[in-house]
Amino acid sequence: MPSVLAEPRTALTMRGLSKTYNGNLALNSLFLQIRPGEIHALLGGNGSGKSTAIKILAGVVPADPGGELTVGDTVAGVSEWTPAKAHAAGLRFVHQQPAVFPELSIAENLAIGAGFPRGIAGRIDWPALHARTKDLLRKYQIAADPKTPLGLLRAADRSRVAIMRALQDRDDADSGVLILDEPTAALPDAEVAHLLDALRGYAAAGQTILYVSHRLDEVLSVADRVTVLRDGVKVDTVETKGLTEAALIELIVGRPLDRVFPASTVEVTDDAALVVRGLAGGPLRGVDLTLRRGEVLGIAGLLGSGRSELLRMLFGAYPRDAGTLVLDGAPYKPGNPDAAMKAGVAYVPEDRQADALLPGQSVRHNLSAGQSRDYYRGLRFHHRVERADSQRSISDFLIRVFNDEQPIETLSGGNQQKVVIARWLRRRPKVLLLDEPTQGVDVGARSEIYQLIRKATEAGTSVILVASEPEELAHSSDRVAVLRGGRITTIVSAPIDAHRLTELMNSSEGTP
Amino acid sequence: MTRAVNRLRTKLSVDEVPAPRAAEDPDAVTQPPAEPPIVVVGPPMSPADDLTPEAPRPRRRSAGTLAMSVFRQYSLPILLVVSVLIYSLWGGDVSSTFNTSANWQNIAASQAVSGVLTLGILLTLVSGNFDLSIGNICGLSSVMTAAAYSHWHFPLVVGILFGIVLGGAVGGMNGFLSTTLRVDPFIITLGTASIILGFIDWYTHGQAIINGIPGSLVTFGRTNFLGIPEIAWVLAVVALLIYYVLEHTPYGRALHAIGSNRAAAKLVGIRVERTITSAFALTGAFAGVAGVLLLAHTGSGNPTIGPTFTLAALASAFLGAVSFKVGRLNVAGTLVAVFFLGVNIQGLTFAGVQNWITEVFTGMTLILAVALAAVLSKERKAKRPTAAPTSSAEQTRNPA
Ligand SMILES: Nc1ncnc2c1ncn2[C@@H]1O[C@H](COP(=O)(O)OP(=O)(O)OP(=O)(O)O)[C@@H](O)[C@H]1O
Ligand SMILES: [Mg+2]
Repeated sequence: MPSVLAEPRTALTMRGLSKTYNGNLALNSLFLQIRPGEIHALLGGNGSGKSTAIKILAGVVPADPGGELTVGDTVAGVSEWTPAKAHAAGLRFVHQQPAVFPELSIAENLAIGAGFPRGIAGRIDWPALHARTKDLLRKYQIAADPKTPLGLLRAADRSRVAIMRALQDRDDADSGVLILDEPTAALPDAEVAHLLDALRGYAAAGQTILYVSHRLDEVLSVADRVTVLRDGVKVDTVETKGLTEAALIELIVGRPLDRVFPASTVEVTDDAALVVRGLAGGPLRGVDLTLRRGEVLGIAGLLGSGRSELLRMLFGAYPRDAGTLVLDGAPYKPGNPDAAMKAGVAYVPEDRQADALLPGQSVRHNLSAGQSRDYYRGLRFHHRVERADSQRSISDFLIRVFNDEQPIETLSGGNQQKVVIARWLRRRPKVLLLDEPTQGVDVGARSEIYQLIRKATEAGTSVILVASEPEELAHSSDRVAVLRGGRITTIVSAPIDAHRLTELMNSSEGTP
Repeated sequence: MTRAVNRLRTKLSVDEVPAPRAAEDPDAVTQPPAEPPIVVVGPPMSPADDLTPEAPRPRRRSAGTLAMSVFRQYSLPILLVVSVLIYSLWGGDVSSTFNTSANWQNIAASQAVSGVLTLGILLTLVSGNFDLSIGNICGLSSVMTAAAYSHWHFPLVVGILFGIVLGGAVGGMNGFLSTTLRVDPFIITLGTASIILGFIDWYTHGQAIINGIPGSLVTFGRTNFLGIPEIAWVLAVVALLIYYVLEHTPYGRALHAIGSNRAAAKLVGIRVERTITSAFALTGAFAGVAGVLLLAHTGSGNPTIGPTFTLAALASAFLGAVSFKVGRLNVAGTLVAVFFLGVNIQGLTFAGVQNWITEVFTGMTLILAVALAAVLSKERKAKRPTAAPTSSAEQTRNPA
């Protein structure tokens, strides 16, 4: 895209954007110019104001008065900006929590954005809609039927449909801007690569893209320029050419971070914390696994390999057809999560919106969810102890809140995730099951979270970790088990090489 | 009013936290914190800042918005006071009848029944479930308790327990059916309501049961203790009990969690089906208590009066949710709503409006409450939208 750099015109200019929540500036007088045809990444720690800026652009959050937006030829003050204007000016969005309808089919979800094709007498032309959806699904390589309810797809596919919905009418447009808020946070690596290729393709065809991500390697490989926010204030806008990941981290965090993933300090013994034999059910065809005390055991596997189901079975939240489990030398047969928790097992689910958050409830209640029995002694609920615990978790886990009575949904995405992790880690579980624990969490906090996980292992917790980034898996696990075809095909011990993991996940090596 | 007190206390504690860092006065917008935990205005500060845990930031609100939110929180109590003033100043017979202690005692006594019923249904509503049969359960319990005394000659206490247990059993059946069959409780309880209606008609042939009701029960229903009807004291006890259960027990927390996100509640170890079933049983049992109070107050097992209570209870519960803890079902708001309804129906009756006003006013209140809740939640969304503009934001399942 070299020619566009010379062009003086900008695709999108934000001038003096500010947003105050409860008297606190979430975004402070942001000035940002996006060049036509570039891929521009918006980076920053959790709660630094990225989503706020994007929601202002979309017209769904009213900005503080005074700012101005220029999209192509449209110039408007922020006070008159509306979703309809944003759409007319050519802005297209995929929000961090995209508005998709789980009960409706994929085709219907698409049509809600673009309108239903009409037939005679205005009735909906279903065959046309389904045919169009089928084409789109093929183009975006999503293996699903147009009639499938969206809620039945797994998290990653739902994100892809949301992206597809935003892009559906933009195949040949070269004006306007496509704006994506953490589109890749919930996607496995292979799909991230695929999505990035698609984004590059659009950019090459002239599409301007602004996107938010916490995955810095991905940013460096795809973006032309990055803008970094810290505490609502723009730190800098820089070209990615010649920028290293370390330099980028320094921009975001404000200081160099020598190690994102802390090294293991625990002497892993041969002492087994959890023994899994012949576990079957759902996509699993007999998993054998031994989790040693104090280790972090990574699980590598492709989408649909049964990684998440494995964790759910171990937590009593997914039916097991066969297999035996031994926890700390005693037989372990969790019939439900309650039983698993009593046995000392904890589980951070993959889909935080659907399976973890309690919307409408305060941060404090979200933190102590499932733990409230511990605060109830002698017919009294010890609110003071609960409050002290929640303050401690907030500072231990670097959760950015105004106070712990804030409803959970007013936190930034990454901070919601930290609440979910804190909820489980603070119980000091014997076995901790983590499914994509750091999705949407910024680099600084990610490193802190892994340090806290390491600290827990020093105190005797054993961890099973599912993560779709091979880098993350390789650096934070003591061993990695590769799940393929419903079985564990290989176990890789340290030193673990991320590329090797990717190969093992994809190859048929070791599959029966 | 315990709720309001508690609310006040939590408010104070919120401001307590940042106190050493910031001005005590929440309105002192211009005074910068002595040692700001993070940058609020101005250039980014020291490098490690993004990693330092965030101390809660001082809350600053302008006096105007504070007054607005206070007004909103207390709009219902204010409305209640205004209604009372209107009937007191109406003049003529209306005021003179309205302003008597006998009238107040009458309102307190008649609202005791619907109050207990409404507080009971809070348990089910908080868990995100509906019970449309509570009025019928209340009627069933009052008729069958009367029958127990009249036809089977139960002793006083056994009869009371029978009424309560019967209500609990029917409620428990509602919960059990809806959780095991995975059918919307809306449908199940609508069916239950109809079945009870038919059963009572069959059993009583439409006749009230008036003989053999223990005199001590009827006396209890009609006398005052410390100037307040004895059955209103029961309401007070039930209110404290429900408040305690909802806000100060793990069980209450579990109900709130289920109402917020059922899947997530399950994954934090809550036995969702069991908890919902028990909530229905408790709601039924409180409807049973209301039935016994009804019997005590009216002195007869009336086969037709029960069903009319359902709508009033729902209206009061929803109206209660727009005050004190705005957007959240709460005991204090519910009590105020119950009396708001009682005062207005009584006042309008005195003003010469016919009996039909009860149903009309209740229906209007229900619609008003739900509309108000919708407006308030939209307002809140406009103030701090968390997701996309459409209402679908709530249904979003995608991970962020
Ligand atoms: N509805 C709201 N009410 C109150 N505060 C809010 C609301 N929405 C966002 N905030 C606050 O505004 C700040 C910026 O949030 P924003 O969502 O823009 O962060 P972000 O940069 O997108 O973070 P993340 O990487 O975690 O998604 C945060 O401190 C957040 O708590
Ligand atoms: Mg965000």
